[in-house]
Amino acid sequence: MTSLYKIGLAAVLACAPLLSAFANEKAEPDPAKSQYWPPIRQIMFGDREILDGKDVMRVYLSTRADDAATVPVAVKAQFDQTPSQYIKQVYLIVERNPSPAAGVFQFTPDSGRAQVETRLRFEDFSFVRAIAETNDGKLYMSSRWVKAAGGCSAPGDKNRIPENLVGTMKFRFADETVEANKPALVQLMIRHPNESALASDFDGSKTPQFVRHVAVTYAGKNVMSADVDFSISDNPSFRFYFVPEKEGELEAVVEDTHDKHYVHRELIVEGVPLPGG
Amino acid sequence: MNLIRICGSLLLAFAIACPAIAADAVANDFPLTEIAPGNFVHFGSQDERSPENMGDQANIGFIVGANCVAVVDPGGSLAVGQALRAALRKVTDKPICYVILTHMHPDHVFGAAAFRGDPAEVVGHANLPRALAMRARPYLKALQRDLGELAAGSEIVIPSVLVKDETALDLGGRIIRVKAWPPAHTDNDLTVADDLTGTLWVSDLLFIEHTPVVDGTITGFLRVLDALARLDVQHYVAGHGRSVAPWPQVLEPERAYLSLIVRETRAAIKRRETIEQATDEVGLSERAKWVNFDAFHRRNVITAYAELEWE
Repeated sequence: MTSLYKIGLAAVLACAPLLSAFANEKAEPDPAKSQYWPPIRQIMFGDREILDGKDVMRVYLSTRADDAATVPVAVKAQFDQTPSQYIKQVYLIVERNPSPAAGVFQFTPDSGRAQVETRLRFEDFSFVRAIAETNDGKLYMSSRWVKAAGGCSAPGDKNRIPENLVGTMKFRFADETVEANKPALVQLMIRHPNESALASDFDGSKTPQFVRHVAVTYAGKNVMSADVDFSISDNPSFRFYFVPEKEGELEAVVEDTHDKHYVHRELIVEGVPLPGG
Repeated sequence: MNLIRICGSLLLAFAIACPAIAADAVANDFPLTEIAPGNFVHFGSQDERSPENMGDQANIGFIVGANCVAVVDPGGSLAVGQALRAALRKVTDKPICYVILTHMHPDHVFGAAAFRGDPAEVVGHANLPRALAMRARPYLKALQRDLGELAAGSEIVIPSVLVKDETALDLGGRIIRVKAWPPAHTDNDLTVADDLTGTLWVSDLLFIEHTPVVDGTITGFLRVLDALARLDVQHYVAGHGRSVAPWPQVLEPERAYLSLIVRETRAAIKRRETIEQATDEVGLSERAKWVNFDAFHRRNVITAYAELEWE
């Protein structure tokens, strides 16, 4: 399995000589001139061509993050998933985070729509980059500049989760009921500290505990899976589409860096009220 | 004083000779108010952090005993810490034996390095070292961004005396009680009580005029307010702002604000709204009542939503 954390650290090391040059940036810099991007791009995509993503995948988030610990973000495909044309995966990158690769989300034609909403941590003002890889192997990128709120807003958990609750999960459905064959939006919530590697600055003997893999299936078919990292906020949340049938089970399997596995299932029946309100 | 520096090389690169000059400018206009015998308060500005105010935002001060002095929050930058120390020295020449950090926020802690030459123990909540370790780097980056080269010398100092429940500190003829609260404003809030005068240094568990900030748990914050309201308090020092309202009535505007956010956020969740939708609509009726509402309110709703969606 890909270790995003390693990608992240390697990228940071590659960036290190540049970091001391950071300037007082209140205005939006040019995404093409970012010093942070070339080494990350090289490590993650090598020399592969990256095309303009505006007709393939867009990234939505507010330009001024209200809370650097919890910044809602959405990446949305600009077309429906079909067996002949679909988005295979989406890379989500927070350029200036200590581990820039926040997540790689995999989709299938069964996903209905390639779309995921999650919440990110920001250590600094940063470009967010979403790179979609389509089934023909092409890469498309969209970028957004985000000013994280200043002052006392910073990434980090606000209230520690009791040990016995870590790994608890919940599904919240956007609608009260689902209809067979109609894409439905669901939010997967995971109770987890998603500790940043910065926590090991405090206790070096401890490996930070964060969620590294999430896999969601419906009726045994893959809906969305993701390799993720501690650029995702604590209590990770992922909101995405699946296509229900008359009846079927939605299942989430989550794995963290302490090799803990957590499973959550929900039976979904057309017309029967679902949790979320 | 045992200073553990987690200031990265990033900030050290900017360590140049400016703070001394800036500190003089701040010290020349650094009024203190003796709100109760031996309890000296400097009321911070309600403005956002800027090179002009140097991070002088929080209400900070000190308590003087017969033998020594306890500083309650060294302020938002080295310059503010130095100005506080200079003002303290005009009041008393007794040694500074404690520097109490009431919680992790930069406007309260970044001045700690000003007391490095003093024989002071740094006192904090048992959760404070971890909270600061996770945030030191982004806090320093934000300080650098807001103050530029005037940020130089400001440091995160990790406390050496940790308070789990309550610790009494003897200043000579005056024992102050430092109490660690369950998660509320942050997960590392302390209050300082001077029983001799009935003075409670509430810090950011009480915001007056300045929009309250939730960086811990909103339901926990409301529970702690209930507990605070039951205390017998003659004089109080809020973390921000001042008032002549009596205790515990002075807690009411903050309680009303937090309660409204809880109520409206729960309703938004019940309507299956997303965190973005809730952030756009919850609590706006409180807007006219608070300073810095636009800078902090949306963030409070995000914190509340991320907590209450688990209920």
